[in-house]
Amino acid sequence: MKVAVLGASTSKFGELWSLSPRVLLKEVVTEALNSSHLKLGEIDAIFVGNMLSGILGGQEHLGAFVAEELGVTIPAFKIEGACASGGLAVHAGVTSILSTLYKKVLVVGIEKMTDHKPEDTTSALMGAGSDEERTSGATFPSLYALIARAHMEKYGTTEEQMAQVSVKNHYHASLNGKAQFTFPITVDQVLKSPLIASPLKLLDCSPVSDGAAAIVLSSENEITQKIKPVWITASALATDTLGLAQRKDLTSLSSAQKAAQKAYKQSGLKPEDIDVAEVHDCFSIAEIIAMEDLGFFPRGLAAKNIALGKTRLGNKLVVNTSGGLKASGHPVGATGVKQIVEITNQLRGVAGKKQVKDAQIGLTHNVGGTGATAVIHILRN
Amino acid sequence: MSISPVKIWRNQKKIANILNKTGKIISYSQVYVPPSGFENEAPYPIVLVEFIDKKRFLAQLTDWKSINLKIGQKVQAVLRKTRSAGTEGVIPYGIKFKPII
Repeated sequence: MKVAVLGASTSKFGELWSLSPRVLLKEVVTEALNSSHLKLGEIDAIFVGNMLSGILGGQEHLGAFVAEELGVTIPAFKIEGACASGGLAVHAGVTSILSTLYKKVLVVGIEKMTDHKPEDTTSALMGAGSDEERTSGATFPSLYALIARAHMEKYGTTEEQMAQVSVKNHYHASLNGKAQFTFPITVDQVLKSPLIASPLKLLDCSPVSDGAAAIVLSSENEITQKIKPVWITASALATDTLGLAQRKDLTSLSSAQKAAQKAYKQSGLKPEDIDVAEVHDCFSIAEIIAMEDLGFFPRGLAAKNIALGKTRLGNKLVVNTSGGLKASGHPVGATGVKQIVEITNQLRGVAGKKQVKDAQIGLTHNVGGTGATAVIHILRN
Repeated sequence: MSISPVKIWRNQKKIANILNKTGKIISYSQVYVPPSGFENEAPYPIVLVEFIDKKRFLAQLTDWKSINLKIGQKVQAVLRKTRSAGTEGVIPYGIKFKPII
């Protein structure tokens, strides 16, 4: 597979009440094009990753919305896959180039979540679950809490170990000026934060966020000398049941395992080849399970290794240098694109204070719902 | 979001297949930050239950004491009001679980 990432850009993530989706969009697209040394007229199509524009903002038809704002009339698509919408949009962009129909495409991820009251946002996000889950009054924190409880029961994972995930990701975010939370936290602060859905507490959970991210993808034949490309060497996804009750096992996400196996096969790489990874830590337990699904640690041992600091900056494998969803923020449709932006910057050596030394190979892991969709990308220099 | 009376009517047919079944709690959580329509009930427990035939179902636990909120607790599926009536005024009924000995 030979598809290149040329430009990459992300907005500040956070409670951006003064910024409209149009403003966010324009900012990231302009910067992604500038860093690609391309003009908008050279782009063949646009893929927009977004989940909630219709249910929260009343604006569907998002492909045309983006094209209108940018002042173009090229093909434009909204791609929706819950919190994996961004990763799915990247996959759609990659496959469109591999089809040879398009040569250069823009992939944008965008979400505006903080304009609405928490109950409405919580309900809207439940659109990613099953009818049975909505009827029961379940929320996404509570569904991941069921997963956490099962993992604790099976492997002895503790609330302190889960808290260590948030502590690490806040430390990384403290080095990222575009993160929603740029301050460090302690295990004690996590454990004493208010319960959201037991055993998960406020500081185990990613926040509600606004934000956007954009990348420009190109076919191999279109690369000029002006820019050093980062290559997408694998783009793979898998699906699973919407509801947790239809799963055999709560302690892993089979979609993520399957997508990872496909991605390793596509790229000819192994888990031990990865230098830096952005994984979907929507809740602290999710990063622990991601480490096991991706083959970075044996089952039941990820929590212990994360708590020992094995995935912190300065180690062989560094996870969530952006701060992850927990501390960088989680504007759901933007997250999967932001992960690609972060890995691209890492592989180019322009990640600033959070730069992983000599990073050559990176992985992104983007999950929709409780694992009904999982998208894995592997990138390399 | 408003409740569709048509959807409630259609889903009623599924309830009979679950009603009275017994099983055990395999995981649980107490919801402190609820979605729209459940504001008056929080905090409330949701439980994932495995029936004897190995099928699983997710619903709220009702008529419970703190001693019942544990993995392995035996429960039975019962019919209860599931959330506040929406603007249509139709009261939605559905499955909840109650602890049994």
